[in-house]
This record gives sequence, C-alpha cells and structure tokens, in this order.
Amino acid sequence: MAGIWLDVLDEIARTCNTHGRGDLLQTVRNKRAQLLDPKLRVLVVGEPNQGKSQLINAIINAPACPVGDGRTTVLPTVVQHAEAASAAVVQAPQVSGRPAAGTSAATLVERTPLALDQVAAGVSGTVGRRPGGGPAYVEIGLPRALLAAGLVLVDTPGTDQAAALGGAAEVAASTRADAVLLVSDSTRELSVAELDMLLHVTRSQPNVVVVQSKTDLVADWRAVAERNRQHLADAGVAAPLIPVSATLRLRAAATDDRDLNAESGFPALIARLQRDLTGKADHLARASVQAVARTVVEQLAAPLRAELATQEAEEQSGPISRLHAAQREVDELRRCSTRWQNTLADEMADLLSDIEYDLRDRTRQILRAVDEAFDTADPLVAWDTFADWLERSLVEAAEANHEWLIQRCDWIARRVAANFNRYGYDVLPPWSMTMPADLGDRLPDLERPRIDRFTTGQKLFTGMKGSYGGMLMFGLATTLAGMPMINPVSVGIGALFGGKSIRDEGKQLLRRRQATVKTAIQRHVDEFFVRIVRDCRDATRQVQRMLRDHFTGLTEELQEAIVQSFRSAKQEADTDVALRDQRQREIRLKMTRLAALYEQSQQLTGARSTPVLLEPRA
Amino acid sequence: MTVGVRLDEAAWGLLHQAMDVYQHDARAVARLRHQVARLEQPLRIAVAGPWRAGKSTVLNALMGEEVAPVEGADGVFTWYEDGPSPHATAYPVGQPPQELTVVKSATGMRVDLGWRVGEVRDIVVRWPTRALRQVTFIDTPALAAVDEQGHAPVLDRVLRDSDAVLFLSRDGRDSDLRVLESARDSVVGQAAPVNVIMVLSRADEVGGGRIDGLLTARQLARRHHRDPRVGALAVNVVACSGAIGLAGRMLSEADFAALATLAGASRAELEAHLLSADRFVRGELPVHLDPEVRAGLLDRFGLFGIRLATTLVRGGFDTRVTLSAELIRRSGLTELRESMTRCFVDRRDTLKARSALAAVEALVRAEPVRGADELVAAIEQILAGAHEFRELRLLVALRNARLGFDAELAAEAQRLVGGDGVGLAARLGVEHEATVQRLWEVAADAQWRWRDRAEDPLLPLAQRRGAEVVVRSCEGMLAELAAGGR
Repeated sequence: MAGIWLDVLDEIARTCNTHGRGDLLQTVRNKRAQLLDPKLRVLVVGEPNQGKSQLINAIINAPACPVGDGRTTVLPTVVQHAEAASAAVVQAPQVSGRPAAGTSAATLVERTPLALDQVAAGVSGTVGRRPGGGPAYVEIGLPRALLAAGLVLVDTPGTDQAAALGGAAEVAASTRADAVLLVSDSTRELSVAELDMLLHVTRSQPNVVVVQSKTDLVADWRAVAERNRQHLADAGVAAPLIPVSATLRLRAAATDDRDLNAESGFPALIARLQRDLTGKADHLARASVQAVARTVVEQLAAPLRAELATQEAEEQSGPISRLHAAQREVDELRRCSTRWQNTLADEMADLLSDIEYDLRDRTRQILRAVDEAFDTADPLVAWDTFADWLERSLVEAAEANHEWLIQRCDWIARRVAANFNRYGYDVLPPWSMTMPADLGDRLPDLERPRIDRFTTGQKLFTGMKGSYGGMLMFGLATTLAGMPMINPVSVGIGALFGGKSIRDEGKQLLRRRQATVKTAIQRHVDEFFVRIVRDCRDATRQVQRMLRDHFTGLTEELQEAIVQSFRSAKQEADTDVALRDQRQREIRLKMTRLAALYEQSQQLTGARSTPVLLEPRA
Repeated sequence: MTVGVRLDEAAWGLLHQAMDVYQHDARAVARLRHQVARLEQPLRIAVAGPWRAGKSTVLNALMGEEVAPVEGADGVFTWYEDGPSPHATAYPVGQPPQELTVVKSATGMRVDLGWRVGEVRDIVVRWPTRALRQVTFIDTPALAAVDEQGHAPVLDRVLRDSDAVLFLSRDGRDSDLRVLESARDSVVGQAAPVNVIMVLSRADEVGGGRIDGLLTARQLARRHHRDPRVGALAVNVVACSGAIGLAGRMLSEADFAALATLAGASRAELEAHLLSADRFVRGELPVHLDPEVRAGLLDRFGLFGIRLATTLVRGGFDTRVTLSAELIRRSGLTELRESMTRCFVDRRDTLKARSALAAVEALVRAEPVRGADELVAAIEQILAGAHEFRELRLLVALRNARLGFDAELAAEAQRLVGGDGVGLAARLGVEHEATVQRLWEVAADAQWRWRDRAEDPLLPLAQRRGAEVVVRSCEGMLAELAAGGR
C-alpha cells in the first residue's frame, strides 16, 4: 500500500522541482524521509501548566519528564527508546543561515550527556546548554515497550500563542511531527487561544488530538468535554477529544489496577497512538501526503493565480496601451492637418479682404484731400507741388498697406504653426517676405493732364467780345441823348463789360481745369489701387502657397514618424498578446496539473469511501 | 504622617483647578465633581482578570458570602457596596435604572439578571456586610487579550473606575502580564505601580491537586514577586485559592460533620476514593455519606479541598472553628486580606489622590483646552513633590534592586518607607504594643543611620537619593510622634 502515497509524494516533489521551488522541495523531501521512518513522532503542545509533561510520563508509565509547579519545561524534550536509560542535551550550533542539507546539520549538533538526576535541570535549561548556542533540546532514552515499537514523544514548553509554537527549536515544529496532542485541562473549557493554536496546527498537521487532562480533579469533566467537542465542531477543527487523568494512570501503574487504568482514559489514547503507529505507513501517511499536497499546491498555485490576476489587470497597460496611444496619435494628426488647412484658408481670405479694404480706405482719404485741394487751388499754379505730394502719399499708403500685409502674414503663419504645438514642432517657414524696395517705382506714372491755359489772345478776344455788346448797348442809348455812338461813356461801359467777360471766362476755365485734374488724378489713383491690389493678391497667394507647402511637408514628416511608431506599437502588441496567451496557457496547464495532483492526493484517503459512493451509479 | 502639603489636599486642589479650567464644559465639570465626591467615598477595589481566573470566587471569599456572580451578567461591571439591606439595581444603557430581585439564600444571595446581555453596563448590589465598610468591590468582566492597537478596553475601564485592582491570574503567564502592561502609558500610571496586587488565583490547582499545592503556589508567588517585570506592574503577589478560602469561611456544621466522618476512615482507604472526583462521588466510601452530601462537598471544596480538609481534621484541627481558620489561613486568603489592608486600605488617601490625578490627566489628554498645560504641570509637580509618591517610587526601585543596596539594607529601607505597612509600628519593625518612647528611639536611630548614608560621598548618587527619602520618612514619623499620634 505504501507505494501509492509514495508515488504521489514523489510526484509532488517533481512538481516542486519543475516550479523551481527548492524550499518546498526540501520540505517534501523531509516529509518523505519522515514518513518512511517507521517511528511515530508525537508532539505534545498546550498552554502552560496543563499537564503536558505529566501526560507523557503517564503514557510511558515512567517519570521521564520532570513535572513541577510553575514553568518547568523550558527546553523541548524528546522521549524515545533506548536500551538503557540515558539523557543528553542536544544543541545545534549557532547558524547564521540554514544548513545546506539535512545530513550536515545532524553531524554538527553538539551532544552533552546528562546524568539521570540532572534531567530536571537540563529540561529547565540550566544545565548542559552553552549560552549563545543555537536552539537546544533534551533527549531522553528509556527502555519501554511502547517506545521500542517506534513511538517518540516530544514535550514542549507551554505557550498560549500559536505563533510561538515550536518557534525556538526545529525539533518541536509541528510539521516534523506525525501527530500532535494538544493538552488542555478539565478545570475549564478550551480557551480562544487554544482554539487558535489548534487551527494553526491543523493547517500543517492533519493528525491532531485534543487531550483533556486532569479529569480526576473535577466532577463535571464530562460536561466540559461535551462543551469542548462543541467548541471544536464550531471552530471547524476535526480533532477527536480524549479525556484522561495522568494521576489515575500513574496510580494504576503503581498499584497494577486495571480498572483504575481504564478509568484514567489512557487506554483510549494509547490505542489511538498505537493505531497511528501501525497505520503510519498507510492511512496516516496518506493523510500526511494529502496535507502536504494541499500546502504545496496552495503555495505553488498562489503565485500562478497572482500572475494571472496581474496579467488580466495588465490588459490596459504595456504594449496594448501603447498601441492605443499610437492610434490616438494618428487620429490626432489627421485632425490637426484638417485644422491647420482650414485655419490657413480662412485667414488668407480674411487677410485679402482686410488688405483691400485698408488700401481702399487709404486711397479714398487721398482722393478726399485731392478734392479739397483742387476746390480752391489752381492746377496751373499748384501742380508740381501737388504731384509730389500725391506721389509721396500714394507710396506711403502702399508701404503702410504692405507693412500690414507682412505683419498679418507673419501672424497667420504663427497661428497655423500653433496647430503643431503639441508635437513640439511649431517651426515657422523660412520667412522671405520683405518690403519690396522698388515699391515707389512700381507705381504708375502720374501723367500731367492737359490743362487749358487762358492765353493773352484768348483774353483779348474774349474781352473784345464782351466789350462789344456793352459799348453798342450804351452807344445806342446815348445816341438818343444826341451823343455819338462812340462816346466816352459807351467806351467806358464797353471796357467794363470786356473786363467782366474776361474774368468770367477765366473762372470758367479754372473750374474746367480743376475738373480735368480731379478726373485725371482719380483715374491715376484707381490705376494705382488696382495695381497695388493685384500686387497684394499675388503676394498673399504666394504666401499662402508657401505656407501650405511648408506645413504640408511638416505634416507629412510627422505622419511618417507617427505611423512608424504606430506600426511598431502594433507589432509589439501583437507579439505581447501572443506571449501572454502562451503564458496564460502555460499557467492554466500548470494549474490543471496541480489540480490533478491535488485530486490524486485527495483520493489517497478518499479511496476507501469512493468505491462505495460509485457503486450504486455503476 | 506627612511633612509638607498633604496629598489628598493637593488632589482636591488640583480637581478644583481643573474645574476652573473646564468651567465651560458641563460634561467635564460633572466628571470632575464625580471625582471630588469619590475622594470621600469608600476605596474602590476592582477584581479583574482573564477568563475563568476565579474573579467571583475570590470576591465571595473576601466577603465571606456567596454573593457573586450575578446570574447572566457577562460583560457587566458589578459593584458591591455597603447598604442597610440587600438591594440590587441594574443600570441599562440609555434607560432608567431597574430594580432587580434579590433572593437570600443560606450562604449568601442570588441576583438574577432578567436582561439580555449587552444592554446592562453596571449592576450595583447593596449588601450589609462588614467587609464592605471601608471598600467597594467591583466584579469585572473577563479581560480579553491585548488587541492590535495595544488596548484592553475592559482593563482601561477597570483602572478608570477603581482606586485599586486585584489582578487575578492562574499562573502569571506572559499574556496576562502583557494585558496589565498595556495600561501603563500615562504619567500617573508610570509613576508607581501601587494600585495593583497580583493574585495567583486557583492556587489549589497548582501541582495537579497535590496536598502541598498551596505551599508551592506561595513559593511561586514569591518567585513572581522577585521578578522585576512583575515588580514593575504589581505592588505585591499573593497566592490565594478563592475556592478553599470561601469554603473555609462558609464552613457549616453539616460540612464539618461530613468532613469529620470522612477523616474517620483510614488514610489509605480514603486515598483510593479521593483519587478522582468520579470515584469520590460514585464509589463505595468506607464511611456512610450521602451522594448528595459528597457532591455538595466536592462542589464547595474541590477534590483538593477535601483532601486538605480531611488531612487537617486528622492533624488536630478537629473543630469547625479551628478547621475553618486553618483552611482560610492555608488558602492564602488571610495573606491576601492583610496585603490588601497594608497596600490598599492603609494607603487609601494616596490611592484616591492617585485616581484623581489620573482622572484629571485623562481629561486633559482627551480634551486639551487653554490652561491644560498648567494642569499637566500641576500633576507632575504633585507626583514629584508628594512624599507618598516618592516613597512609592523608592519602593519600586528597591524591589527591582536597581539601587544596589544589599538585601538587608533594602529590606530595612522598604520597611521604613512603608513597604510592609504604613503604620508606625510596621514601619519601624517593632511590636504592635510598643510605647511611644520606644517608637521614638527606634525612629531616631533609623533617621541617624540613614542620614549618614544619605551624606556619605562614597555611595552612588542613586543610593544617596534613596536614603534621603528614607530620612524624610523617618522625620515624618518623628513629627507624628512629637504631635502625640501613634
């Protein structure tokens, strides 16, 4: 029968190995050696003063462990078979790390033989122990039949804290025991601390028995036992409870009283220990292997489960999220490209109308000034100065206008470039637009308009024409007064008339000249306006084209980079997903194997009941 | 016997100073008024300890009657006060107080709490008995182990509501000590562990019921007392079997007759029947005794008690009175009561003042206001200045053997500063009925010797300081003698 659980244990060891858990492997190997050892190691634990040492003495019917009041057992005590009674303090050397292997540790320990009358001092830790040494324990050998059968009893210092259990010495560790007896006396029910300790122990050691000691002391120990069983059931500890009285047992041994021995409750406990001893290779080992399988599978599965969980959590991080980021980047770039194009087109259209309006406004002001000037001035007199002024004004207007154009273009370029801000790539085009130096030369020449001069001949003729009518009119009138036609009066009147008509004619001519000049200037300014506007349009279009080319180039550059990173992110994500899938499959496979192993180990103890369960179905 | 400002006056002054500081806080003022009232009330002694440590049994043994516990009152503080007639009142949370029925029985009384657990926080039992003249006993719920924050809520309340504590422990194990240690975080709490006596209860169970178990328990107690860790927590350690003590105090003629009958059987024969409780109740005894009587005896005495009592009867304590007295003596109850008188009742004023200081300190810590700093300073000043506290600190130092006095000197110093009792005779180590003349001589002699020690430049500073305290105590005694007191 031994084969089955051994196989499972070896399988567990192999699994530990494949998982690279050397620590667990060592535990399993220790367990294997321990299970193959025919001896039954029984650990006796419990709170102080519960009668643990007395229990051991009563089991083997010999005062092996010193019993006292207060704290007696300080060092763990191992009671085992020997041909002759002997005792020794065994102390491991002070180790900084763990011993490399179990074999070397055994050779390193220091054994100090104790005289038999010094056992009590040895167990209380006052004799035989080197200060500053490692954990020590006392070994007591006794020639007893029960011990010779392979029973090893380990007495421990009392503690009411689960964590402190076996903490000092490895010899008192519950994992190294085949059975654990928790001793609690009958004067009270199991305390919370004891239940905690039980829960702690049962995690690593399935074979736990609660021994309710000192039943001789109180009359209602049966009620206490009943309540204790209830407490155990409530706490979910599957440990049997055996009430015993060491006093009665020792008394029975002294007087050879079978009834008293039966009354002490020890036959049940010893029967249980003997059953464990003979059944060690079978059901006890199965249970142990099952427990080992449980702890090992739990320990191995925990990191795997954690890894699975983190992997699921990591879906949103790593390469996948980088891919998503790259995707977002591409979309963003597309949006950015539309945005800057719209900005450019809109701004350019605005610019054109603004520039045109500005120029028109400036020329209109010039024209108004011209109108005002030629309402009074005589082009004949003022032309030259005027022509200079006009040319200067126009050049000024054109320059101001152009200046503004340049500024606006610059501003537009910056605005468009701002769209690329987030790429840290807001490079302005190499700016080439400057004020053309020959702006003045490019203006149309102002031609001097043809201006009618009022010549002397014309004046004479006009004067003659005017004076004729007057002289005739007054000459005729004066003839009536008997004066000749040509008399001083008529001549004088004639002269007056002549002068007036010359003046009138002169004014008329002036007005005509002024009108002519105004028209000519208006035409000139119009021409100027058209030419400048055309220039501006050309310049604007040029700028627009240049900006478009520049930013298109920029966009393309960016796009190339972003798409490249997108592609690499995608590739990375793909490989990552593949890797992860593979890892998940591996983990699942490992988990399945662990589950199978666990199942196998469970069947070790379930084997006896499973066929019964299956039969009706089959 | 105090030189300088009296401690109780200082405490009274501090409470009124605190009332001034907290005059706008009605709740705080009410608490402080309560503390002032407590100064006049009997000393409050709480019996505290972990689960099933024997709290109610020790309480009953101290009162000599079966009055504790109140049935069904888990997690309730039960106050036992002196009163003209038996009377019990429950104080439920947020409800008016409720009278409880008290049933007098032959051995004491029974109070039944018809309440569901958790609603009632306090039960006050008034019971006419001599034991309650000077003290009020408080039966407390089981102390749980220290939680993660290092708090033990029950113990906190115990220390808040009582002036002194009997801390019960089965065997003085580490986890019990840790609970007690957790409560020592205040200035007053650290000043001196004067208000705790540790009781190794259930001493009869030591050694699995061997006949010399109580002696062993006493040795254990002494060993614990010498342990510096315990010495820092408790003023004394006493082994006391509450069950045996109670059985001794309530030993009835019927019980005595039954025990005498048992003792009549031969030792060997009886021994076989006293092996286990089962055998005693069910077996065929060599002498005739009704099974009910046996069960009753077992219930009251325990197997160990029956063994002890029969042995004692055989050993010559063959009347009810002598057996009762011997049982009480052996149980350790006498020692416990003496210790309580010496450490608690005689130091009543000190303990009450200490409670008042602790209460003010707790208030200042919980609700710091303007002027609270001055209160803390005042507390520290009282702690540092009051000679009683200096004596107590010296006592602790002597117990921990920190000062390096040799054993004889340490014992004398301990006696002189009141470690063995604060009466003049106890301090001076003379017989009770000594004359004033003799007391004067002894006190003066002690004063001279210790003054020499205090002024000896060869001694370490700590020893000289300690000697100064002793000198001061001697001066106090001389002053008291001069004033005509005894």
